[in-house]
Parts: sequence; structure tokens; C-alpha cells
Amino acid sequence: MNVDLHGSIGVAGVGQSGPSAADPRSIPEMVLDAVERALGDAVVRWVDIDAVVTASVDLFDGLTASNVAVTEVIGAVMKPETRIAADGLCAAIHAACQLRAGACRTVLVVAHGKASMAPRAAIEAWAVDPIFLQPLGVNFSTIAGLEARLLCDRDPEAVERWGHVVARRRADAAPHGVAAAVAPEDVLAAPVLASPLTQAMEAPPADAAYAVVLRADGDGLPVRWVAAGHDLEAHAPGDRPLSSRPGLRRAFDRACRSAALAPDAPFGLLEPSCRYPHEEDLLRQVLGAACKSAAISPGGGLYAGDAPCAAGLGRLVDAARRLRDEPRLGRALVHGAWGPAGQGQAVAILEAAP
Amino acid sequence: MIREGSIHIPFTYAAGRAASRFLVVLRDEGRILGSPCPACRRVLCPARSFCPRCGEETGEPVVVDPAGTVVSFTETAAGVFGLVRPDGADTAMLHRLLPAGAKWTIGARVRARLLPERTGSITDIEGFEPLEATEDHA
Ligand SMILES: [Zn+2]
Repeated sequence: MNVDLHGSIGVAGVGQSGPSAADPRSIPEMVLDAVERALGDAVVRWVDIDAVVTASVDLFDGLTASNVAVTEVIGAVMKPETRIAADGLCAAIHAACQLRAGACRTVLVVAHGKASMAPRAAIEAWAVDPIFLQPLGVNFSTIAGLEARLLCDRDPEAVERWGHVVARRRADAAPHGVAAAVAPEDVLAAPVLASPLTQAMEAPPADAAYAVVLRADGDGLPVRWVAAGHDLEAHAPGDRPLSSRPGLRRAFDRACRSAALAPDAPFGLLEPSCRYPHEEDLLRQVLGAACKSAAISPGGGLYAGDAPCAAGLGRLVDAARRLRDEPRLGRALVHGAWGPAGQGQAVAILEAAP
Repeated sequence: MIREGSIHIPFTYAAGRAASRFLVVLRDEGRILGSPCPACRRVLCPARSFCPRCGEETGEPVVVDPAGTVVSFTETAAGVFGLVRPDGADTAMLHRLLPAGAKWTIGARVRARLLPERTGSITDIEGFEPLEATEDHA
């Protein structure tokens, strides 16, 4: 294999299965569907795939080391398979590193999440510190409420704006998503989730699998993977500033440095993993001028269906499709997040071929 | 077809050196401990054995005040939760705010309300209640 280490990486193909509210298929069937679509889109066969990276978190699958269930349907038997226990966008970042290292030429990235298997809030209550937080019965939405409160305390118009943002995302997502459109006033009037957030403000949980084929020597491809960065915050919500996202800032700065991009270089498209509307405010804070004229989640983003651990790879799939269809958008920022109050943050920068 | 299942596996979680001391002192003396970081000089509360920002081992735990300030709060179906920074600490504890029906604001002054019978759990603190309420009782 002869790979140019400084050559470009391209998004060769994308595929997805779902989102749906409750997919009657097994996880391997959902994953196989997404993989076959991605391979077909990339016009490659299983034999052309050099390595596979998957993302999943077993608590969500109700099965210890649940990624063992998908090894066969991702064609990873007798191939290098890497398993990431974080958002799917991190799996794509790992794949890009393998390509940059010259270890492979074509890598398949897969993430799945099946939220219908168990109550999301109950699972996330097990994903917080077992000594100081679990006994209190808090989960991720509780911590998101604490975050949102800080933002609306200094911006009295924030909550009403969030009502409009969510209504817009839900309307954009409704034709292909798992939930219906909701009017702004109904978003605000919905029962409280964790004040100031209402239940309608939370992106609906869903079942979905996503697959992406990344390839070295991507110059001939319509969408290129330019750079990426990721970062982790402290776990305890009381240890970090909840009214800003310094982890996202560091991840974004790393990606910009790696791409030799000025931090205010404009993006034409943002595909953020925002489960709550205040998280878009936090993202805008970080991006500043870079996102001024960007289209944000034209397909509704996570409001089409938020599949645990898979959402960030879903954003990559949507962004790659959009750049192919509308190359004039130029540059896209894809975002993935995981953990309470976005403890983990990942971004990738894509560009449409000139 | 769907097979219904549920996972019931008893677990034991070791609190570790610093958190165990926090829980024992909370149970036996009704006091709240924080851990000073020798590098960033912050007092981390609840006590823990290393600073997540610096990676430094923390020093001998110090007692922080049961009174503190509400940094943020949220109302949920399960009650009101808040981040409370105890006086003498530089980080906030996530805990219940009592009573649930009260009108909360960021910056409100509160004090920890302890259970009379304590077992060595973070729930030995029932929650934080408005400082005026505790003064009325006194
Ligand atoms: Zn420190």
C-alpha cells in the first residue's frame, strides 16, 4: 500500500438506517442496512475495506461490550476493528487518524443507537458519578437544565428564542423524523423537563444506525474531510463553567489549527449535535463570526431523532450529503457530543470539492 | 418479536480515600469536607483525591461551610436541584434545593440541612434550604 500521508481524505460514501421511533429489526440488521447503503454509495465492496471503527456504549444496548454483536455485519471478521465508547463522530476521527498514518486506504465507520430498548433517562442516571450524583437521582436532562438556567438568567429573551429554534428544527425534521412539528408557543407551554427546558425542547430519542466510508487520496471525491478535534471536560458539573463550553472551544481550535484555518474562517453549514436549544447558543458562543452566515441543521438535526452514541456520525452523514447537493455551501462543521452537559466534544471540518 | 428482559446486578462502588473521608465526616460530625489542590489552589467540594484540572494529588481535606450560594438551579418532576458553592469552596455541589415549592434565584444563600440519622451517603444531606429559613429555626 502506498499512501500519501499529506494527501486528502475524502468522504467516499454514507448510509443510514432510520431514525425511527422503534425499529423492529435487531441491531445487527439495522447496522447491516446502513453499511450496505454506505458501501453502495461509495461503490466499494467489503473486500475493499481495510479497517472498521465502531462507536457504541453498552449500557444503551443492554449487552456487555455490545459491539461484539455487530462485528460480522460490518465485515470486520479477520480485519482490524476499533471500538470507540463515545459519540460516533469520534469513531470517524479515529478512522481519519488511521488514514493519515498511512495504515489503511479505506476505512468504514459505523455507529448505532437503539433508544427504544430502555428508558433513556434511567440509563443516563447510571452514567453519572456513583457516589455523589447517582444517589440523588439526577440524569443528563437535570444537568442540562442547570446549564440552560445560567444562559437564560443573563439573557431574558433566551427561552422565547429557544421556543422558536426548536419549532424550526422540529418542522424541518418532521418529514423524515420520528416526531411531529410543534408550534413555538406549544414548545414553551409543554410540561417542564428540567426548567427552563420543557419536554418539547428535548430532541426525541430514536433508533438509528449510520455508516460512512472514508478514503485516502480523496481529491477526486466531492466531499473532503479536512480536519478534526476533540476534547473532554471534567465530569462533575459543579467543577466546570456551565455557561460556556471550553471543551468545545479547545476541540474547535485544534481542528482549525490542524487545517491552518483562521478561527473566523466562515462555515456555510453547521451540523451540531444539540439535544437542547441552549446548546446551539453555546456553540455559537464558540464559533462567533465563523458561523454568522451558516445554515444550521437544514434537516432539523437531532430533532429528527437522537440515537444515543450515533448522533454525531449522523451529523456527518447529513453534512456530507448536503455538501454534495449544494457545493456552494463550501465548508461544514460537524459536531458530536456525549456525556452530561456535553462533557465530551468533537468536531470535524468538511469541505466541498472546488 | 421482542424478548423482554431487565438487568439486575448488585454492584458495590468503592468511594475511595477522599470521598470515604467526606462521607464518614458527614455521617459522624455533620460537616462537609473539601480538598485543596496544591497547584491551582482551589478547594474542591465534595472532597476528592486529585484535581481534575491539574491532575495533582489534593492535600489534607478542609472543612467548608454548610452555608453557600446557589450557582444554578432547575425544577424537575423529581424535585428542584441546584449547584451550590459552599463558602470556603471553589467548586459547586449538585444537590436538592428545599423546599421544592420555593422561588429560587441564582445567587440565593442556602444552608445544608442534614438528616438526624446519617448513614454515610451524600443523601445524609437532605438538601440545601434558604438561609433565612434556617436562621428562623435557630
Ligand atoms: Zn488544581
